[in-house]
Amino acid sequence: MTISTGGRRVAAGAVALAVGLAGAGCTVASRQEPGQATAAVADALAEAGSAAETTRLTVELLDQGRVTGPVADTALLDQLRVLDDAESALTTLVPPDAASSGHRAAGLTAVGDVSDVVVSAREWVAARSGGDLDDAVAVPADADELLAELGAVTAAVDAALAEAGGR
Amino acid sequence: MRKMLAVALGVLTAIGGFVDIGDLVTNAVVGSRFGMSLVWVVVVGVVGICLFASMAGRVAAVSGRATFEIIRERLGPRAAGANLVASFAINLLTLTAEIGGITLALHLASSVEPRLWIPVAALAVWLVLWRVKFQVLENVAGLMGLLLVGFAVALFLLGPDWGELLRQAVPPSAPGNEHPAAYWYYAVALFGAAMTPYEVFFFSSGAVEERWTSKDLATNRLNVMVGFPLGGLLSVAIAACAAVVLLPAGIEVSSLSQIVLPVAQAGGVLLLAVVIVGIVAATFGAALETALSSGYTMAQYLGWSWGKFRRPARAARFHVTMIVAVLLAVGILMTSVDPIAVTEMSVVFSAVALPLTYVPILVVANDPEYMGEHVNGRVMNALGGVYLLIVVVAAVAAVPLMIATGAGS
Repeated sequence: MTISTGGRRVAAGAVALAVGLAGAGCTVASRQEPGQATAAVADALAEAGSAAETTRLTVELLDQGRVTGPVADTALLDQLRVLDDAESALTTLVPPDAASSGHRAAGLTAVGDVSDVVVSAREWVAARSGGDLDDAVAVPADADELLAELGAVTAAVDAALAEAGGR
Repeated sequence: MRKMLAVALGVLTAIGGFVDIGDLVTNAVVGSRFGMSLVWVVVVGVVGICLFASMAGRVAAVSGRATFEIIRERLGPRAAGANLVASFAINLLTLTAEIGGITLALHLASSVEPRLWIPVAALAVWLVLWRVKFQVLENVAGLMGLLLVGFAVALFLLGPDWGELLRQAVPPSAPGNEHPAAYWYYAVALFGAAMTPYEVFFFSSGAVEERWTSKDLATNRLNVMVGFPLGGLLSVAIAACAAVVLLPAGIEVSSLSQIVLPVAQAGGVLLLAVVIVGIVAATFGAALETALSSGYTMAQYLGWSWGKFRRPARAARFHVTMIVAVLLAVGILMTSVDPIAVTEMSVVFSAVALPLTYVPILVVANDPEYMGEHVNGRVMNALGGVYLLIVVVAAVAAVPLMIATGAGS
């Protein structure tokens, strides 16, 4: 079967358009519109909120003996990766105005606080799984202490998210 | 007894094929973000895969030849060659996702870094492909994969508000906090996951491996009607578990470890262990199927000797193709790419490639030269036509939706 010249042109145009669109999707704007920047902050905070909630659920389940140490540790490690991505999204953002700069600063603090608590939670999981962490001061004494810390950082994330116009 | 064993082929493709890492991840992501509002896509996908798998099985049983042999003969070497390249690439992406899924499940069970599991999983896949007979492979993987029923058990133990789940499902619409484009992106992804092309290649080639004839058409129907709807029910259960536990907590699924948390909440460590074994089995079974499909498509197109019913020395190029596919998948995973991201890409690109698989099957199933008196009836053709339209729309919409939504984010 042969393809007509017109057909080839249409096909070439379609390929060029697809490549252009894909390229546009891959580019990173060095400077964004205020709305875009705020949405990016909100997305990162939503990820951080999800990570905090996953950590809360994991800690509760481990405390109730409904989940094993390796599963809990893996779940928390996965959340640290999510938080790393969220932090990276915020640190690489160039805020176009003072308001989005403020949103980003609040977001970075909130994400960092969640990361600290997830790190503590991993230590708590390691201690519960037989790790020699009795003398480590950073390890929370029990699940309640961890859950209280998580509650505080989740509230901070929610506040920053509301500020940024997120859910 | 023989009939019961034959049904295992359908069950294997349903559990190891329908519920693979793509279904696990996509259904859980959808459940955690959209509740049950996309369950209709699973229903559409199950009906579609039943329709086309039964056609492919019938073609194999009547003609004694698998799908890709006939695609080449019917479409000619150039069109079939383009089809082969696209199908092989999608198959490789899916195989990579499945091996990645095995490593993630083993990581979950052991806390050992997933990259250390990659060579172990790949070696195990190759050893089974090399040494284990087709029927043993299908029965063991199928039965072990049935452990995923743990998701359905977990759903009942969670005691959800069934009325609320139904309200989320009917009428189907995007939740207020989600953009409609994201809703449709995940609809296409879910459809691609349900109708993954390798399932049909494996199913039709498996029929040849088991030497089906036109006398086995009833078995074909039974396999499809039992196996695929079972897979669909498990998919719905996975989405429902996420909708009941993760959605209200604001948890968006981005890892396998989150998918099993509702199971742990419902059934504790025992049910969790059952489901993790089920995930390993389902992804392992799907890795076998995708690796086999790589060998099947290449060998059938190029006219090589193929099949597990032959000794490896008598189907050397078929086995070498599978080894190369497994090694390529290992190479991709060793770059530290996120297996979940590979999975999400694989289901979307599966949607793009759907017409390449399903159009030729519909054409051949209507060709009296191959099918004799067993050509499609009017109802089958009417349904096939409707599905062809859906498949083309999904294929055309997949990439623009992916770009517009930033891959659903």
